[in-house]
Amino acid sequence: MVRPFAAKGKKRKKAEKYDRDEDGEESSSPAKKVMVENEPDEEPPKEDFHELEGIPIVPKDPKTDNNAGVIFILERASLEVAKVGKNYQLLNSDDHSNYLRRNNRNPGDYRPDILHQALLAIFDSRIAKAGRLKVVYVKTEKGLLIEIKPYVRLPRTQKRFYGVMLQLLQKLSITAAGKREKLFRVIKNPVTQYLPANCRKMGFSHSSDKLVKMRNYLDAVKDDVDLVFVVGAMAHGKIETDYTDDLLAISEYPLSASCCIADICKDLAEKWNVG
Amino acid sequence: MAKLSVRSSSNNDKKGKKKKKKSSGPKALTMKVSAPKANPFESIWSHRKFDVLGKKRKGEERRIGLARSLAIEKRKKTLLKEYERSRKSTEFSDKRIGEWDEELGEFDKAILRSQRELKRKLHKSSKFNLSDGEEDDYFGTQNLGALPANDDFEDEIIPDDDDDEAAAAETNKGAYRDTQQQGRLLEGEDIKRKSKKEVMEEVIAKSKFFKAQKAKDKEENEQLVEELDKKFESLVQSEALLSLTGSGNSNALKALVQKSVSNEHLKKDNLPAAGRTENFNQEKPDAFDRLVKEMAMEIRARPSDRTKSPEEIAQEERERLELLEEERQKRMLAPDNSSDEEDDAENAFVGKQKYISGDDLGDSFTLDDEHNHKKGWVDEILGRKDADGTESEGDDSAEDSDGSQDDEDGDSDDESEEDDSSHGVKHSLKDWEQSDDDILDTKSEDDEEASEGGKEQDEVHPKGIVDHDGPKKAHKSSIAKSSKDDGISEDTKKLKKDTKHQSKPELPYIIDAPESFDQFLSLLANCSNSDIILIIGRIRASNAIQLTEKNLEKMQRFYGILLQYFAVSANKKPLNVELLNLLFKPLMEMSMEIPFYAATCARMRISRTHQHFCAQNKSPEISSWPSSKTLILLRLWTMIFPCSDYNHVVITPTILLMCEYLMRCPIVTCRDIAIGAFLCSLLLYVARQSSKFCPEAINFLRTLLAAAVSSSSSPQNSQQICHLVDPQALGKLLHIQNPTNEITPLNFFFIMDLTEDSLVFSSDNFRAGLLSTVTETLDGFVNIYGQLKSFPEIFLPISTILHELAKQENMPDVLQNKFRKVAEAIEAKAEEHYMGRQPLRMRKQKAVPIKLLNPKFEENFVRGRDYDPDRERAERRKMQKLLKRETKGAARELRKDNHFLSEVKARDKAREDEERAEKYKKARTFLEAQEHAFKSGQLGNGRKRRK
Repeated sequence: MVRPFAAKGKKRKKAEKYDRDEDGEESSSPAKKVMVENEPDEEPPKEDFHELEGIPIVPKDPKTDNNAGVIFILERASLEVAKVGKNYQLLNSDDHSNYLRRNNRNPGDYRPDILHQALLAIFDSRIAKAGRLKVVYVKTEKGLLIEIKPYVRLPRTQKRFYGVMLQLLQKLSITAAGKREKLFRVIKNPVTQYLPANCRKMGFSHSSDKLVKMRNYLDAVKDDVDLVFVVGAMAHGKIETDYTDDLLAISEYPLSASCCIADICKDLAEKWNVG
Repeated sequence: MAKLSVRSSSNNDKKGKKKKKKSSGPKALTMKVSAPKANPFESIWSHRKFDVLGKKRKGEERRIGLARSLAIEKRKKTLLKEYERSRKSTEFSDKRIGEWDEELGEFDKAILRSQRELKRKLHKSSKFNLSDGEEDDYFGTQNLGALPANDDFEDEIIPDDDDDEAAAAETNKGAYRDTQQQGRLLEGEDIKRKSKKEVMEEVIAKSKFFKAQKAKDKEENEQLVEELDKKFESLVQSEALLSLTGSGNSNALKALVQKSVSNEHLKKDNLPAAGRTENFNQEKPDAFDRLVKEMAMEIRARPSDRTKSPEEIAQEERERLELLEEERQKRMLAPDNSSDEEDDAENAFVGKQKYISGDDLGDSFTLDDEHNHKKGWVDEILGRKDADGTESEGDDSAEDSDGSQDDEDGDSDDESEEDDSSHGVKHSLKDWEQSDDDILDTKSEDDEEASEGGKEQDEVHPKGIVDHDGPKKAHKSSIAKSSKDDGISEDTKKLKKDTKHQSKPELPYIIDAPESFDQFLSLLANCSNSDIILIIGRIRASNAIQLTEKNLEKMQRFYGILLQYFAVSANKKPLNVELLNLLFKPLMEMSMEIPFYAATCARMRISRTHQHFCAQNKSPEISSWPSSKTLILLRLWTMIFPCSDYNHVVITPTILLMCEYLMRCPIVTCRDIAIGAFLCSLLLYVARQSSKFCPEAINFLRTLLAAAVSSSSSPQNSQQICHLVDPQALGKLLHIQNPTNEITPLNFFFIMDLTEDSLVFSSDNFRAGLLSTVTETLDGFVNIYGQLKSFPEIFLPISTILHELAKQENMPDVLQNKFRKVAEAIEAKAEEHYMGRQPLRMRKQKAVPIKLLNPKFEENFVRGRDYDPDRERAERRKMQKLLKRETKGAARELRKDNHFLSEVKARDKAREDEERAEKYKKARTFLEAQEHAFKSGQLGNGRKRRK
């Protein structure tokens, strides 16, 4: 199957070469002025090129133009493992409300589903699909720091997500299926040590007085700067971080984490002109 | 060895540690350990890193200091001891039984020891040893009574168990025998085991008992039954039951009771009572009973007649017609002969007929033919009824076709015109070419048939299709010819007779299918339109295909004839529109019956027409536009055959032919325009269902409209126009010179009847009508082709023309509005298409998302479990892990042992050194003291001596 195709290609090449040689021979038949003679030969294609100047020959690749990426940090995610009955389980308000009450905890604080939604919003966004997402960090309420690779296929269902998180919290890393590469892993704490040097860190909080239109705000930021968005993944309260440059509010209403992230991703995709 | 022992000891250590921890718990330990010495390190607890909710603290906590000191204690007990012993050559070990076990009491120890002693005694090796007196005594004291028995038979005692069993078996046998022989003598043993006899006896007694029981039961039952019978009798005789049950039942009951009564003893009193009840019952029959009877009598549901097959329907129709025919003949005879003897009269009539027809050759006279030519006086009522009957059948289909036409009317006014014209198509015609042809054909065919069809007939020849009748043809043709001749002569006679008979003749009910066109013509001669249809209907009914196989051929021939008749009548100069309309219905129905033949006929005709057209188109003088006959036939086919097929044997060539007409015929006169417009509307009708694109029709319409703009037309417009047309000349034809207000809708048949020079064509009215027709057709096309991708390119230029037309001064308002409306519709649709269009993109590629990786995780993750699907590997890995852990632990223990030992050694060495140093010091001080004494002269006499 392959052979004839290759033969064809070769043949054509040969033919082309042969033609060219002939042309060259004809043009440079007198002496060894091949070099000189060849130059005018190359000119006609240039003219052709000029004629079609309006149309780009190769489609623009956004990746080559701009390498700035985006990093998301989800603060105060409630990921906690507990031994319920005989097994270890990820605590959530739906399944363990009685258990939590018995242990004098507020069930309303245990909301891993917020994190799930937020992560889904991130990984489903266009910028993630285009490869502009660099990494996602999750910091739990207990202070554990988790790194998530941008090319992970996140479980779509809550139950499976909880399973992943449970295993992650116990084994401290999750590998890819069929590969040794770690997709999730628990890393050492201050998150700032992992952030790139030239980046702009933005925190989001409804409590902030600085109400901005995300599109306008992003336009003001330079194109080649990496962006770090710090969003809270908790049910109540606000993020308290010292490493952010700005604390913004993008809506007058308190938005859910996933909605906020979706907005950010959309505006970012527009700014970077991602499919 | 040392190492091993050390390790084992260390292992023991560990186990002990664990055990203690588990059993006693930390508190107890602390209490225990802290009592002797308070090591501050032992009180330190290790703490865990993460506080996990729900995890119990117990297993987690450790006191490293305590554990260490415990381990050291353990080593001191074991390792240190060994170490100390290692340099010694002898060792005292206490091997007394139970001496090492602290838990055993003194008594237990003693028992253990005595057991050991006994065992040793029983050992075979010691069997022949002479026992010591001591031991014997001991033994004797132990089991007193057993000794003398055992003394002599020691050998036998050893297989003790077997003997015992044998003895037991023997005793059993003995017991068995005893019971058999002596019966109940050994009662003590019988309690345990009953003898066979006893068992049998018991069984017999039981069966007897059961039999007695049964007999008793039976007796009781009988008694009960008797009682019941008595009760029942009394109940029956009481009237309550009688009123409840039906009379019939009561009778039965009575019979029963009487029977029983008579069986026992007859009581005369009962009888009158029963009679009374009977009377009572008869007077008042029960409603329920009546119902039951009625139901029994009721007619059961019967299968209804099945739906009749078309063959049966046809058969019935024919039978009905035959009946009618008979009646008609009777009626005809009635005035001639005495009404009393109808049969005779008829016979006479037949004879008479024969006599009359005897003028002719007289041979090949079939009865049917006779019937054909018997035309009696009119029974108006019957005739009308008959007509109604036949027509009512056909009305449906006629209405159907009407309905479809109505639909078209609804669609656009243009259509209505079309329909008018199409109606016309049905009706009228003149087609110089083909009519001639047809007539010629028929004639020639007849000739050919007469000459026994030796020659091959042309394909073009319509009768060529009938050819496949084969060899019969010659024979048939001869018969047909003769019969035809007879028929004609008869007809003429009949007609004369009819005229004599005052009113028009009653049609025969059964008509054989005519064999040739002439015959058919003669059959129809002088008949009114409705009569023609009636005749056709009767021919069809009496020769229905369903009746016999032969009829198919007949009907095929008849179809050809009918089509020819249709074509001829469509070609007549004053169009008989009504007749054509009426002919449509039977033609369509017959096409349904013989679709294959109909399609072949149509194709033949089309190809012939096309050849004719090609021939004609070569000479420019003759107008090559189709004649009315062709037009009407085209219309017929579009109605007969389905237009919605993508490819159809008849419709496709029909469309092609129409398109060719539009393309290649030069427009010279106004009549040409009208015909063209009609063809366009026909194409519209066809295209509406199949939505095929006919560029010729649109181009033609556009040409017409552009020509109407005409005199002031810009050169670019004229450029695009069809090359066959001179725009200026055409412009004259269509341009409206004077303002007109009324627009007369075109009547196609009317136009077809006009001559080319007629004044009507040059009137503005006509032009306006033409323009409105064209516009409406265009509107239809716009609606159909709205979905085409290239719609804007096709129709937008037309819309500009329409706008220009609308601006013309002399244009009537109605027309202007129409133009604008269509133009706007075109523009709106074009706009839609433009909206939907996407710009062409260079090498467009779909964005490819980054490749994603699935995380590997377990559904129910439990820490420490191996999730390897390969169980063996998992097991192996687990063992390896265990091994590694064990080795590590052992190494650690060894290290600690070494450390401990080295410490001990170091301590020993230090002590030794110290001792030696001390000794050395002592000696040295002694020596020094001596030397000092010596030097000072205090030692001994010397000094003293010196002094």
